[in-house]
Amino acid sequence: MEFFQHFLNALQFGSFYALIALGYTLVYGVLRLINFAHGDIFMVGAYIAYFVAVLLLGGEGMSGLGLTPAMTLAITVPVTMILTSLVGVTLERTMYRPLRRKGADRLYVVITALMAGLMLENGNLALLGASRKSFPELMHKVVWTFGGVSVTNLKVVVIVAAIVVFVLLEFIVSKTKIGMAMRGISYDKFAIPLMGIPLDTIIVFTFILGSSMAGLAGILYAMSYPILEPYMGALIGWKAFIAAVVGGIGDIRGAIVGGFLLGFIEIGVVAVFPSTLRDLFAFSVLLGILWLKPTGLFGVAQTTKI
Amino acid sequence: MNTLLEVKNLKVRYGNIEALHGISFDVKQGEIVTLIGANGAGKSTTLLSICRLPPPEAPRVIEGDILFKGKSILNMPPHKIVSELNMALVPEGRRIFGNLTVEENLKLATYARTDGGEPIERDFERVFQLFPRLAERRKQRSESLSGGEQQMLAVGRALMSKCSFIMLDEPSMGLAPLLMYDMFRTLKVLNQEGMTILLIEQNANLALRFAHRGYVLDTGEIVASGSSEQLLADPEVKKAYLGG
Repeated sequence: MEFFQHFLNALQFGSFYALIALGYTLVYGVLRLINFAHGDIFMVGAYIAYFVAVLLLGGEGMSGLGLTPAMTLAITVPVTMILTSLVGVTLERTMYRPLRRKGADRLYVVITALMAGLMLENGNLALLGASRKSFPELMHKVVWTFGGVSVTNLKVVVIVAAIVVFVLLEFIVSKTKIGMAMRGISYDKFAIPLMGIPLDTIIVFTFILGSSMAGLAGILYAMSYPILEPYMGALIGWKAFIAAVVGGIGDIRGAIVGGFLLGFIEIGVVAVFPSTLRDLFAFSVLLGILWLKPTGLFGVAQTTKI
Repeated sequence: MNTLLEVKNLKVRYGNIEALHGISFDVKQGEIVTLIGANGAGKSTTLLSICRLPPPEAPRVIEGDILFKGKSILNMPPHKIVSELNMALVPEGRRIFGNLTVEENLKLATYARTDGGEPIERDFERVFQLFPRLAERRKQRSESLSGGEQQMLAVGRALMSKCSFIMLDEPSMGLAPLLMYDMFRTLKVLNQEGMTILLIEQNANLALRFAHRGYVLDTGEIVASGSSEQLLADPEVKKAYLGG
């Protein structure tokens, strides 16, 4: 029974990692850019969710609109996803695109992304101070017990939400023209305008997809662990990035599998060893996977056919 | 015949290197025009400058003017040259999306079309009728196609974008002679149906037998021009490009 308990916890953690890892992998697929600010976009998402929720719900010294928690949740999710995607698009428009236009080497764009992430963290610190925010409860906690396994409604919501997003994303990428264009860019950016496709539109769309998923992860994470602080995105962002690489960066299935794999390894380690060993063991295992398959689980070595 | 494309005194510089030293040529509606010349003469540069590819990221300076139906297109974004002017480029090396299926490649080329499902369906059928091999392989990942089939796909893709003016960069490269003749026959059919064609070729003999008019490009300058018959008979051209 304990096994199923761990299994569910791993799925929940895996959902967070996978949702964030997808943002890394999508942007990498289209721009060959590792968007190191992405973990901090997740953090911004959690904060946006906090402010939207408090505004609607009241509390934290604000009178708010006095909506019910259920209504608040229903509005907070889409609003947060939209606002977070705006943050992602703003980074692309104000920081990455100008560099691209000037023909900057990719290294400089990656460094810019690192700086953008630090700016988001420290901007948050400057604006809101170092005190932590506690996220209001939007869902009355219900615990179901089957045998020895206890499941909270929140855990189910996190896992189901993540699965719905994956199905939706898979549909967009494999069936729609804009999804085809995203896959096309990852193969050959040069030929995209030749199809009459505005490159920038596809890039912006990619940032919207990635950032809105980070925003969703932010809400779900804040609901699960209701303490927000400016650096909360840093470590989880790194982990999700590593998960994306282990899965094979640029590949959507890879990001999902990598995210869940990391969740399972972490929970598995904690189940057996003291929790202080968690990250050391988890990353050793991931390192081992990369050692065996340097392109990641789903990655293929880039070859060009002439 | 109205002039469709007019290139006026085009100079292209990459950093300190001037690849084109001011070339001028034009293509009239319904014509097949060819630019011939040796490797490095500036043929591909000319086509890429017309489409302004790769996108503005590359440090490149273009001087002179490029007119389409009398209007300068020098400041038009690359994708609009395809979607608004109905020009298409079949680039050197074909540049198909190898990770997409044949069908997806063709579908992607209809991205900017606004004329709805039925004309697009008709164009699909047309492409599959011109290139039955593509129909057989429509569900296949396109990187698994042979070189000849990839070239068919590249041309098919251009047709799906509803072009009325097609520019081809070395379509014969890497093709077996039989496939090459097939390709040129198909292009001729398209031309007879009204397609304007600008062709770039190293194989001058083939190109001049196919085209109505031609220009000879040599290290960034046009050194000869005229009807195909004139160029084929020109002793200088014969000596330098047609193997004596």
